[in-house]
Amino acid sequence: MKSVFRPVLLAVAVAIFSASAGAADAGVWDHLPVAQRPQPGTPNLNGKWAMPAPIRVLKTSDGKEPPLLPAAKAKYRANQAALRANPKSDPVANCWIQGVPRITYAPYPMLIAQDKDRVNLVYETNHTFRIVSLRKPLPIVDDSLDALWLGYSAGHWDGSTLVIETIGQNDRTWLDYAGLPHSEKLKVQERYTLDGPDRIKGEITINDPETFSKPWSTQFTLVRQPGYDLQESVCVRDHKM
Amino acid sequence: MRRLLFSLVVALPLLTAVSAQEAAVRKLTPAEQAQLDIDNKGRSTPLTAEQWIARQSGGNQAQRKSWEPTPPPLEPRDFTGLWQVPGGSINLIQETGEAAPFTPEEAKRTQQLIDAENNGAVLTDAASQCFPHGVPRLSFAPYPVRFAYLPGKVLMLHEVAHNLRIIHLDRKEPPKDTPQSFLGYSVGHWDGNVLVVETSHFNDKTPLDFHSSHGTKLKVTERFEKRKTPQGYTDLVVRITIEDPDHFTRPFTVIRRWPFRSDMAATQGADGITEYSCEENNRNVEMSSDGKVIIK
Repeated sequence: MKSVFRPVLLAVAVAIFSASAGAADAGVWDHLPVAQRPQPGTPNLNGKWAMPAPIRVLKTSDGKEPPLLPAAKAKYRANQAALRANPKSDPVANCWIQGVPRITYAPYPMLIAQDKDRVNLVYETNHTFRIVSLRKPLPIVDDSLDALWLGYSAGHWDGSTLVIETIGQNDRTWLDYAGLPHSEKLKVQERYTLDGPDRIKGEITINDPETFSKPWSTQFTLVRQPGYDLQESVCVRDHKM
Repeated sequence: MRRLLFSLVVALPLLTAVSAQEAAVRKLTPAEQAQLDIDNKGRSTPLTAEQWIARQSGGNQAQRKSWEPTPPPLEPRDFTGLWQVPGGSINLIQETGEAAPFTPEEAKRTQQLIDAENNGAVLTDAASQCFPHGVPRLSFAPYPVRFAYLPGKVLMLHEVAHNLRIIHLDRKEPPKDTPQSFLGYSVGHWDGNVLVVETSHFNDKTPLDFHSSHGTKLKVTERFEKRKTPQGYTDLVVRITIEDPDHFTRPFTVIRRWPFRSDMAATQGADGITEYSCEENNRNVEMSSDGKVIIK
């Protein structure tokens, strides 16, 4: 009895679950070619988003200064002093690509466009985008791997949370607008979780043993921006046009 | 019925294998003939079937085989994957082989820039200063592009200088007070399996190719369509119609074929699109030999 009944119950439970997931999903992925649609029940992060309160000075989750190692702290103070003396000392003021996670809290809206294999993060700020594969693993970091402004990212779903891991960034970007430094050893984890249909709860974990004494995290919020068209934003240093 | 099915199943692959080998001498299928007729429209010297077959695919067949280790998705409207514009095609030569129908002023300006370049001047344009490339200049740049889909939008994510185009399928025309921009404002719709994109509200700071300029009246209509080459590879064919009465005497059309490049998906980085930091590497604000920065 037991052995027959359990599979039946399980089947009914699965059927109810898929039906409800299917119903909640109805139409959500219709814009995608059939072969590109995510599994039913995949959270829908698609759309236009912005931070209601862009972050300028990155603090830990409990509001403290990140746990900088002594040399990195000295560099942070030097960056802050340079910024006060000349706002152009910010790498972003020279139109360099912003780096991760800083680009996430640039004071511009962004688009998320998902399909089954990747998540595209498209930022208005200087028309920058990240194409994050959900299928390919991160490359192995060694001397042959070029350090990039946005590094190398790979994503996966952890339950209903989109997790993006990023490595291989160059050390020429700052982590925030206040001059928080990092090294090429930086590993960033971003977590995006829907909190209702129109809000994303975000969490960033920074792990950089050359800059910080331990990994630390910080939170952010994204809010849907219906009806907003992404504008063409262009940053070109010393332009001649 | 079963026999018919059987013969279709067996015969079709054979037919394909034969046609791949004898592509240059075989007869066109009715669908191909119809396409050839469309392509021949307006040509003073119509293409022969053989010429038409030869020009279907960028690259030679050995290259095409290595470019497309896995085929693109079957659905005609599914542009997912990597497409790369072949190099050496940054010009406005029409499919008829004729030059663009320049106004006399534009013909003169274009020739001046060609002459300056031939005399050693370094031409500087928007793209070489890291501004967005403009359209259709962007569609001529030999770098890969990925398409992405959102409800009511198609995104084109270009490797070159991280140019980003947003095609609004959910609008019939640009909103009121749309500002001028380098890449303009694009509205689009599907005409069968052809993505039709109409773009306007351009600024006048980009060249159309390397040498020819345009004004703010520029309108560009692009028709994107996935098409199999006779050898079985896939191109994204782009028919680009350019209208600008201040620079051209009539609308005209240039065609580009972007081969499918699944081989590039193995590139490390953003799923086959390599990071391109124009700001770091590719700025070109050099002066011409007479000391002027030449723009456009």
